[in-house]
Amino acid sequence: MTVTAPVGSAYRDRVAAALAAGWQARSLYAAADGQLVRIALTAADGRSLIETVAADSDGSVPSVADLVPAMAWDEREAHDLHGITFTGHEPMRPLANHSAPLAEWTVPVRGHDPYQVAVGPIHAGVIESGHFRFHVVGDKILHLDARLFYKHRGLERAAEGQPITAALAVVSRACAACTAANGVAYSIAAEQALGLRAAPQLARARALLVELERVWNHLNDIAAVCAGTGMAAGNAWFLALTEQARRLNASLTGHRFLFGSVQVGGSTLTIDAGTVSRCARELAGLRAAAESGWRELEFNASFQDRLGGVGIVAARDCSRLGVVGPAARAAGLAEDARAVSPYPGHDAFRPVTPENAAGDVKDRLGQRMLELRQAFAILEVLLDQGPLLPAEAVVGDAPGPVGFGITESPRGATTCIIERAGDAVRRVRLRTASYANWPAVAHAAAGSLLPDFPLINKSFELCYACADR
Amino acid sequence: MLTLLRDLRRLRRDLALPRSDRPRSLAIRHVDAGSCNGCEHELTLASGPHYDLQRYGLGIVASPRHADILLVTGTVTTRMREPLLTAYHAMPEPRKVAALGNCALGRNVIGTAANLAGPVSAILPVDLFIPGCPPAPDQIARALLSLIDGSLPAG
Ligand code: SF4
Repeated sequence: MTVTAPVGSAYRDRVAAALAAGWQARSLYAAADGQLVRIALTAADGRSLIETVAADSDGSVPSVADLVPAMAWDEREAHDLHGITFTGHEPMRPLANHSAPLAEWTVPVRGHDPYQVAVGPIHAGVIESGHFRFHVVGDKILHLDARLFYKHRGLERAAEGQPITAALAVVSRACAACTAANGVAYSIAAEQALGLRAAPQLARARALLVELERVWNHLNDIAAVCAGTGMAAGNAWFLALTEQARRLNASLTGHRFLFGSVQVGGSTLTIDAGTVSRCARELAGLRAAAESGWRELEFNASFQDRLGGVGIVAARDCSRLGVVGPAARAAGLAEDARAVSPYPGHDAFRPVTPENAAGDVKDRLGQRMLELRQAFAILEVLLDQGPLLPAEAVVGDAPGPVGFGITESPRGATTCIIERAGDAVRRVRLRTASYANWPAVAHAAAGSLLPDFPLINKSFELCYACADR
Repeated sequence: MLTLLRDLRRLRRDLALPRSDRPRSLAIRHVDAGSCNGCEHELTLASGPHYDLQRYGLGIVASPRHADILLVTGTVTTRMREPLLTAYHAMPEPRKVAALGNCALGRNVIGTAANLAGPVSAILPVDLFIPGCPPAPDQIARALLSLIDGSLPAG
C-alpha cells in the first residue's frame, strides 16, 4: 500500500487523477486529531493507495464529494465528529450531529402538497434504531432523509491508545452480523502495519469464518424479504435455517455469532477431523433445505409479483453512489473483494450476477441465493482440507505507520484502516458495507410507494450498528 | 407452497415443543438503545419456529401503548436516552422493564464515555436482567417466562 505525504491544493487533482485511472474510493476520514484528512482508494488488481491532505490553519480542506459522491457521508461524518470544514461541500448537512434543527439536516422538498412522515428512531418490531424522514405526496415517496448514528457508541475513539491486538475487540463488537468480516478487515490492516501477513492456514481459518457468517446472514436476509411481503411460511422456513446455521457456528467455534474467533497475528481456532466432517454433512443438509425453500418461493406467483420493479438502484447509480456487495451485483456490477484479495478457497473466485440484472428487490433477493450457493461450495472446499489447526501470521512486507484491510462481508466490501504509534492504535476507521450502502436505500425509496419501503429496506437488510459504530 | 407448509409441519413435529400450560400472556415492546445487533438477532429467533415464544403468550407488539414489558437491548447511548424514556412513559401501568444482554446490564461495555448515557438501570427501574453476549434464544425465552410465572431470577 502507498501512503502519500500530505499535500495542499493538489489533493483534489490527485484524487481526480486516481479516479480517472479507475481507482475506487473506499474510505475518507480525519486523522492526526483533525490535522489531516485521508482518502483510501483501491485498484481493480488489489493495490491500495492513501492520499492525504493537510488541513488549513482554520481546519478546512477541499471537498471531493462532487468528484466522488460515495464519499459524501464520510465528509459529513468527519465534519460532525472531528470538526473538519470541507470547502465546496455545500450545504454541509449534519449526519452524526443530532442537535441540528430539522431544516438543516433534511433536503427542502417543495411542490403541490408534499408532507413529511417521520418514522423512528424506535421501529414497530425487533429492529435497530434509526430515524427516517419521508417526504411524500399521497403514497409516493419524493425523497427520504435517513438520520442514523442513534447507536453511535464512539467505538473508534475507544480504540485509540489501546494495544493493536486488544483494540480488535472494539471493531468486532461494532456489529454482530458482520463481526467476522469486520474483524478480518481489522486483522489484515493490523498485520500489514506490523509487517506481517496471513499464510495459507491462517487465511483458510479466516475464509471459513467469513463464509459461515455469509451463510447465516443470507438465510436471515431471505427470511427478511419474506417478512417484508407478509409471506409467513417463507419467513418461518428461512428463520429456522438461520437458527440451524447459528447452531453450526456454535459447534464449530463455540459462539453462535463467531465472537472471539478472529485474532490479530494468528488463529487459535481448532476443529478436529470428526467435527469437520460432521459439519460438512450438516452444511449439505442446510443447502438442500435452502434449495427446497427457494423453489417454493420461486414458484409462488403472488410472492414473486411483489418483487419485480420495486426499489430499483441501477448499475450507473450503484457506481456513482459507491454501492457494494449483493446490492451492487444485483444491478449487474460484478465486483467482489474476494475476487481481488483471494483467500484459499477463494482462488479463482468469480462474482456472480443475476441474468438481466435490474437492481430491484427481486434481483437483490435472487442475488442472496446465488451467493449462498457459492458460500456453500467454498465451505465444502475449505472443510475438505481436513482438520483446522492453530496458525500464525508470517513475516510480510516492511512494517509501516498505516495498514489497510478489505474483506467482503455479507453486505459487501468493508474496509479498515489502522494508524499506529508503536504497538498502540493511533486511529482506526472501520467503513462497513452498510455504511457504504445506506445512501442507496434512500435512492431506492425515491419514487416508490411508502408502503413498499419496508420491503425495499429489507432487500438491503443493512446494519445500523456497524454504520453508527 | 404445499411443500413448504409440509416441511414446516415436519420441523415442528421433530422439535416437539411442549405446549404452554400458562393461562396468562404478556406483550413485549423492544427498544434498541445502542446494541451491536446481536441481541436483536437472537430475540428475532426466539419468536422463530425453534422456540416460538408466542406459544407461551409472549408476543412482541408494535407500540408501547399496549405493552406490559419494555425489553431494552444495548448500552444506552446519549442519542437514545430520550427516545427510550419516551417509550417507557408511553406505556400503561403496571409496566416492567427487562434489560437484555451484557451491554444493557452495563457489563463489559465498549465505547467512549461521552457517547454513553449508562446501563439501562441508570435510566429506568429494571425488573429483570438477562445476561449473556448475546443470550441465546432459549435463555431469553426462559427469562421472560419467569416474568409470567412471577418468580424473578436474581440479576
Ligand atoms: S450484549 Fe453482546 S450481543 Fe448484545 S448488544 Fe452487547 S455486544 Fe452485542
